[in-house]
Amino acid sequence: MSDRQSANGGWGTLPRRRFLSSTAWTAGTVATGLGSWVVPAKWASAADPIKVGIATDLTGAIGIAGNACANTARMMVEEINAAGGVIGRPLELYIEDTASNESVAVNNVRKLVQRHRVDVVLGGITSSMRNAIKDVIVQRGRTLYIYPQLYEGRECTPYLFCTGPTPAQQCDALIPWLMADGAKRFAFPSANYIWPHRLNEYARKVVEANGGEVVFEEYYPLDQIEYSATVAKIMNENIDIVFFTVIPPGLAPFVKQVYEAGYQERGGRLSCVYYDENLLNFHPPHEMEGLVSCLDYFRAISDGGEHQFSADLHARYDAKFPDGPGFAAGSAATGIYRGLKMWEAAVNEAGNLERDDVAAAIDHAKIENGPGGGSEMVPGTYHCRMNMYIAVCKSGRYEIAQQSDGMVEPGECL
Amino acid sequence: MPIDAAFDIISFTSFVVLVVLGLGVIASMMGIFNLGHGDFVLLGAYTVFVFDEAGLPVWLGMAVAPFAVALVGLVLERTVIRRFYAAPIIAMLGTYAIGVMIRESVRGLIGGLYHAIPEPVPGMIDFGEISISKWRLIVILITVLVVLGSYLLLKRTTLGLKIRASLENPGLARSAAISTGQIYALTFAFGCGLAGLAGALMVPAFSLSADLGVRFLIQAFLAIMLGGVGTFEGPIGGAAMIGATTAGFPWVMNPVLADVMVFVVAIVAIRLRPAGLFTRRRV
Repeated sequence: MSDRQSANGGWGTLPRRRFLSSTAWTAGTVATGLGSWVVPAKWASAADPIKVGIATDLTGAIGIAGNACANTARMMVEEINAAGGVIGRPLELYIEDTASNESVAVNNVRKLVQRHRVDVVLGGITSSMRNAIKDVIVQRGRTLYIYPQLYEGRECTPYLFCTGPTPAQQCDALIPWLMADGAKRFAFPSANYIWPHRLNEYARKVVEANGGEVVFEEYYPLDQIEYSATVAKIMNENIDIVFFTVIPPGLAPFVKQVYEAGYQERGGRLSCVYYDENLLNFHPPHEMEGLVSCLDYFRAISDGGEHQFSADLHARYDAKFPDGPGFAAGSAATGIYRGLKMWEAAVNEAGNLERDDVAAAIDHAKIENGPGGGSEMVPGTYHCRMNMYIAVCKSGRYEIAQQSDGMVEPGECL
Repeated sequence: MPIDAAFDIISFTSFVVLVVLGLGVIASMMGIFNLGHGDFVLLGAYTVFVFDEAGLPVWLGMAVAPFAVALVGLVLERTVIRRFYAAPIIAMLGTYAIGVMIRESVRGLIGGLYHAIPEPVPGMIDFGEISISKWRLIVILITVLVVLGSYLLLKRTTLGLKIRASLENPGLARSAAISTGQIYALTFAFGCGLAGLAGALMVPAFSLSADLGVRFLIQAFLAIMLGGVGTFEGPIGGAAMIGATTAGFPWVMNPVLADVMVFVVAIVAIRLRPAGLFTRRRV
């Protein structure tokens, strides 16, 4: 070092290598932009750190779910590293913002896969996002992809593992439960995109198989915020159950207009399968009273002391991230937990990071414990079995109304 | 049932008119297309949220919101917007940038979450078979009053005369001892204040989220194009049409088709009357 420095003319000049490296660093920062975070492993190791990529919507309309996912990953990577890492190597977290915008996302995900060469990517919330980035990750990027959100099913792509609930898991128990007191007339007011269309297709079969009737199934532009025509139809047709998939920004006015029309007062019930704790502030409690959701985890499971593992996990999350979005199933945070834990188990089993070896191990991965209970991949189907819970909103909180008898089959890619 | 529908359509139209009013004042009186307008609406809604969080009454927040947002508008006009008057296209980009900054700041402040704001006057009024929301009824009344008040201010007062003079012929206005700089600042602040009021009044109906103003912005611009820039009545008439078609079409056709039809009708109208439906040979 000193030889070269003296040869170069001493300390006064900038050594070429340092100049190059700092230039590269600056260029990298500029190109990476503000949407990127790298959480380096805290402990040095003889081996290189394993790179975990998170691509999620930190900003934009569904930033709430994206931040819940990123926070969950941050906490877990810290905990995994504290416990000695994976195959003796620490994890290094690379977080990219998909910004609720597919074209921004594709560029940022390419960065994860091509520049940072991450070993696995977890993320994407909406189905349109998954469809936009899966090719970049799985085909061109030759990387594993884990998709954590509840969704419409039918994603059977090799190297793409889904760790959120499927329509079968969300509807098979929920719809008979909704119909238990004799309710028969359903309405499906929905946002016009792929998830509601496919979910409704499945839900309609379950409704009809149980002797019910879908009186109307209607799709709205994603940004519709005025629902008086729909509400009039709900009231005039004597609907018993409004099973809706309307999304923000239309969600608040929709629920308010339904409430103001006196739907709940005359005994009607609302049900929506993406409602979690992060949506509790969305409406005044009286408008949500009696709303039914069905997910793989609710805070009530922890609060009720029924599942100590979930309670501890949730408490650690709350302590680390007291503000902002909470650890909630509809925000894909539980899917991130399952996905990362299954991947960890798979890498430990494979003993290396070769994509085929890890994918083969993840295909039968099992976790003993997670939020809401353990879960396991159904071999050959890229989807997980998990416990499911039906919860009813009461005074601004969820109460568990029914719990699945063991793990529920995903029923996909059979 | 028809009365029911009429009330809902008028109620929604009121929200659109409120949003368009501020945007129209700034566009018509200053020639600035404020792409950040939706985010000034958001700022009004956020003010109410701050009051609600602090345990203060919601109505107080609604009363303060227009003034708070007007103040922000005034500061922005004095520091940033005034540099754009010579270049309207740059002004659009500049106001868009300001809008993004406001929106993302608010998103950070509310933790990216959604927040329900209670109506200051909750509940329903029953008229026999029909029950209507008290709050929506109040918004309709306030909208009528605000539109009337703004009209009188611009058409019947000396200040209004000065504002219109500054638009028509800034050079002549200046030579007649009207400080056009001050007038522009006031007009911009006034438009922002109206946006703040719109946001404050609509937030109980739509809940607070960072994207509250964005949807209305597109409708508001369409309304202004439809009605015509340069007059007071133009944007208001356009807003009434957009509001009524947006809320009314889903009663008679498939909602996805209705959404498209609003634009189709607007485009046809603009094709037939390029200067606007409610303008008399001006601009």
